[in-house]
Amino acid sequence: MSAIEPPRQRLWWKQPLDRVEGTWIAIAFAWCLVMFFMMPYWHIYGRQNLANEAYRNTPENYQAKTDAMVAKYKVREETDLKIPVVHPPAGSDVFLIARLWSWWPMLELEAGKTYRLHLMSMDYLHGFSLQPENINIQVHPGYEHVVTITPTAPGTFGIVCNEYCGINHHTMASRLYVVK
Amino acid sequence: MPAPHPGALDPDEAALAARASSEALPEDEPVPVMQQILENPFLLLFIGVAMPTVLYIVWGVMEIVNIPVAK
Repeated sequence: MSAIEPPRQRLWWKQPLDRVEGTWIAIAFAWCLVMFFMMPYWHIYGRQNLANEAYRNTPENYQAKTDAMVAKYKVREETDLKIPVVHPPAGSDVFLIARLWSWWPMLELEAGKTYRLHLMSMDYLHGFSLQPENINIQVHPGYEHVVTITPTAPGTFGIVCNEYCGINHHTMASRLYVVK
Repeated sequence: MPAPHPGALDPDEAALAARASSEALPEDEPVPVMQQILENPFLLLFIGVAMPTVLYIVWGVMEIVNIPVAK
């Protein structure tokens, strides 16, 4: 018997299911269900980033919002590029701009406090990767993504761009400070 | 006269036997819907393209279009 020949009976659908085949199908289907329901379960209870708040916006609007935050909460400047470091109040909206090829501004957050972190790109697709944590978010142009974060321990964290964005993608890194 | 499988009747003998015992001939019975679907390669091709397109592309574009504008 081969798959190229027509089936033995014209009405092969009515042929009773063989017990071994039925068992095989049952096991395979049960495993499919396990894998299917693991997806939403792990998305929520595995503490993965929930991608559920985003807004359409323009670079000008977003730059204005970020500038307003920097003007109010700037504490110092760092690096040769004189990037401002901002220390926004707990519970507030915090804005981070991704552009070719830098992050602006630098953030200083307090441990144990919750913030709404806004992420948007001014030009092309970038990736926000908080090191050494397991937080990775795509940063799109034209879409403002909002993530609620609560730093748990003080320290200095790295932000690297993990979405290839051009010739200087490898230099697109920044720091995020968490203080007590 | 070669029989396709040992013990099976060839089609003419099967038809005669069925008519003799007034059973419905296999040719008269309607083909089950599932069998009709699985025997139609072009329908299967259409479903194989249409289902992922709707579930991924169309659904995805609908979600993206529904993203609200920032205040």
